[in-house]
Amino acid sequence: MRRPGCWIGVSLVTFVAAVAVAAPALAPQNPYASGVDMLALPSAAHWLGTDDLGRDVLSRVIYGARASLPIGLGGALVATAIGVPIGLIAGTLRGATDVALAALIDLFIALPGLVLALIITVMVGANLRNLILVLGFVMWPPVARLVRGQALALREALFVEAARAMGGKPLWIIWRHIWPGVLPVVAAQFSISVSFAIFTSASLSFLGLGIPPPAADWGGMVRAGYDYLAINPWFSLAPGAAVSLAVMAFYIIGRSFR
Amino acid sequence: MNGREETVRTSLIGRRHLMMGVTGGVLAAGTARAQSPSRGGTLTVGLSNDANTYDPIFSVQYTERYVLYLAFDTLVKYGPDFSILPELATSWETSADGKRIVFTLQQGVKFQDGTPFDAAAVKWNIDQRLDPAVNSPQRQVLAPIIASVEAIDPRHVAFNLVAPSPVLFSLLGERPGFMVSPEAWKKRGPTFGSQPVGTGAFVLKEWTRGSRVVLERNPNYWQPGLPYLDRIVVQDLAGSIIGVQRLITGEIDYVDQLTPSDILPIERRGDILLKPIKVGRWYFLQWHVNEPPFDNPKLRQAFAHAIDRDRLNEITMRGQGTVSNGPTPRGLWWYDPDLKFYPHDPARAKALLAEAGHPNGFEYVLSTPQVTVFQQINQLLQEQLGAVGIKLTLQPVAASEWYARVVSGATNLTPTRWTQRADPDGLLYILFDSEGFANTMKYRNDQVDALLGRARTVYDMAERKKLYAEAQQQIVNDLPMVPLIFGAEYAAMRDAVHGFEWIPDEIPRFRGLWKTAA
Amino acid sequence: MLRLIVRRILLMLAIALAVSALLFFTVTRLLGSPAEMMLGQDASPLAIARLNAQYGFDRPAVIQYLHWLGGALTGDLGRSYTTQQSVAAAIAARVPVTLELSLWSVALAVTAAVVSNTIPAMRRPLQGVVTAVNLVGITVPNFMLGVSLIFILSVKLNLLPSTGWVPWSNGIGAHLRHMIMPVLTLSAYYFGAFSIVYRAEYQAVIQRPFIQVARAKGLGEWRVAFRHAAPNAILPVITFVGISIGQLTGGAVVTETIFSMPGMGRLFVSSIESRDFPVMLAVGMLIVVGVVFANLLADIGYGIVNPQIRDPS
Repeated sequence: MRRPGCWIGVSLVTFVAAVAVAAPALAPQNPYASGVDMLALPSAAHWLGTDDLGRDVLSRVIYGARASLPIGLGGALVATAIGVPIGLIAGTLRGATDVALAALIDLFIALPGLVLALIITVMVGANLRNLILVLGFVMWPPVARLVRGQALALREALFVEAARAMGGKPLWIIWRHIWPGVLPVVAAQFSISVSFAIFTSASLSFLGLGIPPPAADWGGMVRAGYDYLAINPWFSLAPGAAVSLAVMAFYIIGRSFR
Repeated sequence: MNGREETVRTSLIGRRHLMMGVTGGVLAAGTARAQSPSRGGTLTVGLSNDANTYDPIFSVQYTERYVLYLAFDTLVKYGPDFSILPELATSWETSADGKRIVFTLQQGVKFQDGTPFDAAAVKWNIDQRLDPAVNSPQRQVLAPIIASVEAIDPRHVAFNLVAPSPVLFSLLGERPGFMVSPEAWKKRGPTFGSQPVGTGAFVLKEWTRGSRVVLERNPNYWQPGLPYLDRIVVQDLAGSIIGVQRLITGEIDYVDQLTPSDILPIERRGDILLKPIKVGRWYFLQWHVNEPPFDNPKLRQAFAHAIDRDRLNEITMRGQGTVSNGPTPRGLWWYDPDLKFYPHDPARAKALLAEAGHPNGFEYVLSTPQVTVFQQINQLLQEQLGAVGIKLTLQPVAASEWYARVVSGATNLTPTRWTQRADPDGLLYILFDSEGFANTMKYRNDQVDALLGRARTVYDMAERKKLYAEAQQQIVNDLPMVPLIFGAEYAAMRDAVHGFEWIPDEIPRFRGLWKTAA
Repeated sequence: MLRLIVRRILLMLAIALAVSALLFFTVTRLLGSPAEMMLGQDASPLAIARLNAQYGFDRPAVIQYLHWLGGALTGDLGRSYTTQQSVAAAIAARVPVTLELSLWSVALAVTAAVVSNTIPAMRRPLQGVVTAVNLVGITVPNFMLGVSLIFILSVKLNLLPSTGWVPWSNGIGAHLRHMIMPVLTLSAYYFGAFSIVYRAEYQAVIQRPFIQVARAKGLGEWRVAFRHAAPNAILPVITFVGISIGQLTGGAVVTETIFSMPGMGRLFVSSIESRDFPVMLAVGMLIVVGVVFANLLADIGYGIVNPQIRDPS
């Protein structure tokens, strides 16, 4: 857990979080203020140039963190909140419950995440709350499967047998013995979930289903800037790099836990 | 071609020469080139093609007309200012009471299947469109105007009208005017839409949906010398950016519907010609004017004063569009230069807002169709109106769903845009008459109704122009909408392509084009 | 084994029915009359009413659903609202494109992952590079990768075309040139993911006795690596490919959109944008059912190959 990757990940995440929190202080210009100098290349006034409405790209990228981080964290929280209980129950209890839940998990894992997210978002509409819920709904299966696997392994451990022999109730067993063993795995997977949520929500925005304008939204900016690559490439590349950085940061932390 | 215009002008009788602005100079402009046309070659056109059928009797989709104007001719055609010019009809005479118009037809014209084009064919074409059993979408527009059609002799056909109707001429220049071969239509039935037969300069040879349409020169075309091109291929495009890229590489020769931003990569290139359309689409902001909150005139005026239309034009059209004070752009014969509108005045807007009963600001939802230009306009509107205390939330709506929701009344405040029509009645009536089917603003002004009603039965152009000026000023005073801009749009083509000229309906006419060896 | 298959097939059918019904009813309720959508801004009320009657949009939702279901079972998936084309025909034309893109991408990803992680005696720095590339592949979203590739290779250097598809009839060379960037974009993530799985397995395999034996026999490092270790280490990757098919469709959707390829993914996205409901329904269902089916096949295949794993718990 003390591998160098972990520290890189932590510093990156801290950086991204700091940018999101301090956005108003950091951004050189108002991200929503239009200007007549559209699609301008980088200059002293606009370090990354301007977008198609003359707005400062750098400021919009900074403010974009304010949309992406909450969605990422929120989605991962919902996924964990759904996946952990299901995984715990499936892994701890034997018999029909386990078989049924295992089948359910297997089924949902197979479903294509982005496609499902697309369909649902189209139907319910894209706003902050809906996106968080949809992402959580799409991401819970891997969490559940992981938790179930870990719980299964622990279930067979001797000390749990002993606890059961002593007549402990299932819920108590879960809480005292299994949960502490599962927690590290959940924490690692949480980080990976955040990374995946940011990735998926940016893809959704790229396909036109993100937070509506004029919000500064990374995926949406990549999409809007795509048409103007030959004029001001930073309009598209800067937010894309920001997404990559955020995704990478959380992913590195998650991986280094393993 | 020029010879026939002379014939029309010198044999005018009665009210004809007052009726339609036959501007002979217009045609000359199209053919006054330094070099004479060269024959041969293939023109490859890039288009986001949403065509369903090339049967003019059933055509509804916008892009279908790109091909319709190649495979078919119309009875009359439009000049660059929407004036009416002869095509399959060489001249026409209106009766004294205005209820009967006799068209003299071009002689020696054959359909592409060899059958003759004559008055009987014209009668058949109009009868089909009026026949309830055939159920053409054009019936609704034609039935209130045309009572019956008579073929007097093979060269003369008479239209008996319900009431005097100058609008008829503009209709005969587009879909209702495309002359279909009766024989072929009867024989081919439902497949006629994929294998159309008209009198046009090009014959449709191949149509692979989602891929391309191939048309080849009609060797028996009735206009001598035309067409110059051997073939036209209409290639399907996923979007205008791809079109621009393919134009640069030379894969296609022509692409249009380009915004001022789209042309940035090709603006300076010597091998690509840019043709701006002179009369752009009309963008305006509309609301339900008959119910709260927008039934309050002071609120509407606050909006009008708060919006900076020059800035909208600067940013979304790169300054290449024009600010709109009313529905009609400069360049159309019914344009009124004296139309008065509300100047950009944020201070006044704030004052009006307070007078309207919203001293602490006003909040509303602005429907935003997912089309780039509307998204841009809306964000700018949000900014400008926000500066005077009007807080708008942008509500995204899928492009295809958006208009349905406007029509059903579910959407109140929304931007919208309309392409210009050939007759002033075309847009003004359907939008602002209380019976107009596109009047989603629920606007009703009896005075305007009376003016529009009268203007559509009068043949005298000068009088019509006056009536429409009055109606437009009244409409603008009432503010059922806030006019914004007339858009700028471009066609881009390789410099080997010559002879192109825009018609304000934004449908390109390729018939007279020629290509020099690149 | 048979029980597993039967259970899975039943599940698959249940999903297909559930998803189609869910989609159908939710969307028809949200949508209202598609007639205006089909006819556009010029539509008159008469034309709209006529179209509604013609397509049966004014009938109750359940009747419409059953009508659709009946058609679907006989292969008639209805007509697209926007193009009037048969949906089944539109899909059939698009499937080969997506299949080709996916196959190339998986093949490239597997080959690159296996080869780059098998090369023996790799120096530390080189290993570091491979690890870095893996990381980039996994974390950089494919739309960013695609846009960056387009910017560098197409806009700046003008080496490759920026659209992803020309038909084979235009020539093999042109076709492959257009495919290079889309395939790179789609395979990047899987290169990273497969590498991780493969490398872990490879480390385990390389410790096994039979490898020592081979080395003792005097076989060269490369032969040991590629002929003996790799084939054993590749098994989990194959399984992983099966599991990834679901995610792959998501990746294909984005890739096809960026490169304007006429595949199923882009058809799906454009049907969503244009609210072209018959297409959306058919493609959405096809994707979901197809993925579940592919997983079933992968499970069966793996079960056959590796008898230890037949017990699903």
